[in-house]
Amino acid sequence: MKKQTNKQKMSKVAPYSKAHEKYIKRLRNDKIIVIVFQILILLAIIGLWELLASTKVIDPFFVSSPSRIFNMFIDLVKSGAIWRHIGITLLETIVGFAISTIGGTLIAIILWWNEKLRRILEPYIVVLNSLPKIALGPIIILWVGSGMSAIIVMCVLICIVLTTITMLNAFNSCDTDKIQLMKSMHANKFQILTKLILPNAMEEFISVLKINVGMSWVGTIMGEYLSSSAGLGYLIVYGSQIFKIDLVMTSTVLLCLLAALMYLTVCLIEKWHNR
Amino acid sequence: MGTMLEFKDVNFFYQTKKAEIHALKDLNFEVDEEEFASIVGPSGCGKTTILSLIAGLLEKSSGKILLCEKEIEKNDSRIGYMFQRDHLFEWRNIWQNVTLGIELSKPKNADEKKEFAKELLKKYDLYEFISTKPRSLSGGMRQRVALIRTLVMEPALLLLDEPFSALDFQTRLKVCDDVHEIIKSEKKTAILVTHDISEALSMSDKVIVLSSRPASVKHVEKLKLNGETPLKRREDTNFGALFDLIWKKLTNEETNK
Repeated sequence: MKKQTNKQKMSKVAPYSKAHEKYIKRLRNDKIIVIVFQILILLAIIGLWELLASTKVIDPFFVSSPSRIFNMFIDLVKSGAIWRHIGITLLETIVGFAISTIGGTLIAIILWWNEKLRRILEPYIVVLNSLPKIALGPIIILWVGSGMSAIIVMCVLICIVLTTITMLNAFNSCDTDKIQLMKSMHANKFQILTKLILPNAMEEFISVLKINVGMSWVGTIMGEYLSSSAGLGYLIVYGSQIFKIDLVMTSTVLLCLLAALMYLTVCLIEKWHNR
Repeated sequence: MGTMLEFKDVNFFYQTKKAEIHALKDLNFEVDEEEFASIVGPSGCGKTTILSLIAGLLEKSSGKILLCEKEIEKNDSRIGYMFQRDHLFEWRNIWQNVTLGIELSKPKNADEKKEFAKELLKKYDLYEFISTKPRSLSGGMRQRVALIRTLVMEPALLLLDEPFSALDFQTRLKVCDDVHEIIKSEKKTAILVTHDISEALSMSDKVIVLSSRPASVKHVEKLKLNGETPLKRREDTNFGALFDLIWKKLTNEETNK
């Protein structure tokens, strides 16, 4: 009896009947199966990659191998250089992400506030959004110089227009009856913005955060390809120029891990918001 | 009882890109203090427009709208508006939703109003849900919360714009009873806009029938149905005859077109 109680405590939902207990167990098993298969796929890819590379079925000079990537990572850690490169890329990405998310939302607020201004600027925003930002690379370097500032500007350019458009759409899609309700309670425009429009657009804001996580990494790495002397993007370009594919692969894997970490942080924010 | 609201030769024109639409034509009617009046009419005739004019969300083109014998002002705090859907804000809990009006207008007697809100929530069995988010409440409970949110500001005149239309029939009958009881016990004057004749007859002291656009008053029926609640009033022997009368007033127009 005591055992059963402990079991019930472990489960988040106390079962009401045998059938319910069976149902909860099935849900839990399904979840475990999904996670196990996700890990198995990853291990299979790594194992197969290592096997093919070690038996020379594929040439490790061009495709590297998990063990070579691991060794390269250990070497970079021992030399201490990797932390500088990770730190620089992370800083550029976070600064670009923050500027474009906050800046894009502020521009969307200004455009929501002033309908006429929105109509005037609409064609410019559309053109800016459809423009391939990489084309602006040389101009950015000319204007702000090479290095970190150019990389952050590139990152901001890639994310900010999309943020503005998405947030403005979210603001404008607010139910007009809700706005009327606020007006019937004598709310002024600032109150409508802060008490209705902004909280109502929180779901879209979290979507923007998720999109910007990916886009800001794209912007930073693109910027580092164009002009940089440090960072993971720089290591990728440098590695490919000297045919050191292990360095390219190690930097790429680190990028994947960092991007996933940032995405998980946004997911935690989302979970906190939905609690 | 004195007159609470009076429409005197009110006209209203909508401006659109293609045309100017005459929505209300020489509209005249009055609603007494503590009276529950319903407005029925063909779809699109301008029933909601009338409520928007009273609430100051739209501006009349000509005529006079008097509240307690004085021309109605924009942002008049004596008017409370309840919409078709409850429009509870999902990110706020029930207490935060109910006190939204106090938060917006910051009245001097805010503490008193908050006490009043607590009283209303307790009286209508919602106090235990004050920390709950609206998504956990049933349709009927949500509608009661929306009504309390309006009543907290202690309006003299309540405007109800088809507030039961989003509910299923069974819940609707129950919520009609609840809302009617709340309005009568709080001694409020109310105007209900509805396309449901039964609902209008069961809840009101007076039914105002409008013509199609441009809307004008076609018929006013003062009701004396027996029964304390809307559900009981539906059992009155005159209910069917009154339904037929209002129906004919509405459909005559349809056939005259």
